[in-house]
Amino acid sequence: MNNPIGLGLGEKSVSRDPQDVLVAYGLGSCLGICMIDPLTRVTGLLHAVLPEHLNGLELEDPAHCGKYVDQGIESLLAAMLKEGANRGRIIVRMAGGANMLISPALTSAFDIGTRNIEKAHIVFKRLNMKILAEEVGGHQGRTVRVYVADSRMTVKLVGATEHDL
Amino acid sequence: MQNIMEFDEKLLDMLKIITTEGFRNAADGFSGMVGRKIEVSNPTLELVPLLTIPKMVGGIEDDAVGVYLRFDGDIPGQIMMVIPYQKALELSDLLMGVPQGATQALGTLERSALGELGNLCGSFFLNSIAKTAGASFRPSPPAVMVDMVGAILDIVVATVGGVSEHVLLVHANFTEGKRFVETNFYVIPDMKALHTLVQKNHAHE
Repeated sequence: MNNPIGLGLGEKSVSRDPQDVLVAYGLGSCLGICMIDPLTRVTGLLHAVLPEHLNGLELEDPAHCGKYVDQGIESLLAAMLKEGANRGRIIVRMAGGANMLISPALTSAFDIGTRNIEKAHIVFKRLNMKILAEEVGGHQGRTVRVYVADSRMTVKLVGATEHDL
Repeated sequence: MQNIMEFDEKLLDMLKIITTEGFRNAADGFSGMVGRKIEVSNPTLELVPLLTIPKMVGGIEDDAVGVYLRFDGDIPGQIMMVIPYQKALELSDLLMGVPQGATQALGTLERSALGELGNLCGSFFLNSIAKTAGASFRPSPPAVMVDMVGAILDIVVATVGGVSEHVLLVHANFTEGKRFVETNFYVIPDMKALHTLVQKNHAHE
């Protein structure tokens, strides 16, 4: 359990190496979405930034296909299955989606965090996948770690210690 | 929609001159507030891929203070000041007029003082741009957050993210003598503002 793999914005990673720890550092309004097949230990993490792709945007860099919650979840699921995960066994956990701006003048217009969470719920419902645990919303950033070795996901807030989700 | 990458060198050079002057003005405001001579170092202006922004300030998970404000008007956009937590404590000592090392945590008062610092630097910056470019701005009140660098910069990414893959990032550091204040000052004009700028520039030619 000593090989941290940091995920940047819009990145995803799937691993079955028990040495690996998948990490999304400092999630604000972003979502850390984790999928685990406990039997095969195929473990994946996605660092999604925005709810969905808007029409008319520049073409995406394929390396960042996880940027959007909707596309990202589907591409993480596909990568999990490709690595040998069984769809029926996959456990989903997620954390993040905070509203970082606490200011009456600014808050409502920019609450991307809440929109990310809502989008994730819609997508998982459509995919008929249950979210086992989530720690979302609030006003604080989070670092998410997923330990491939024991299928554990932890959340750490600023100035606090890591706790299991 | 005009491609942002079509920015010509001449316009970028002009913007660089205007914003560097803006940073100098912001540093003057900063100096006045903390009672020390604060100077600007490494002012830059560049188009960067949006998703690389959180990697630009040291450790993504490090504790920091962010002061954020939006501005509307002729050229709308956003300003974010990011101060490493330890430096924020030191700045707070200066702002509150207490002996060095006296501030151990950031309470409501300290956060408010740091917010005012960001507000002041932002206003000084915008005033300078307003004077040089003949534009008008209406800044919002500052929002202050104490959190991880990545989470703070997510705000910028989230607001621009739905619109563009690149941002024009105007950035400088503030220093005091040889000592680094390590305060990062980012200005991110909205993409639609950039189109206005490009058009204005073409009209001048």
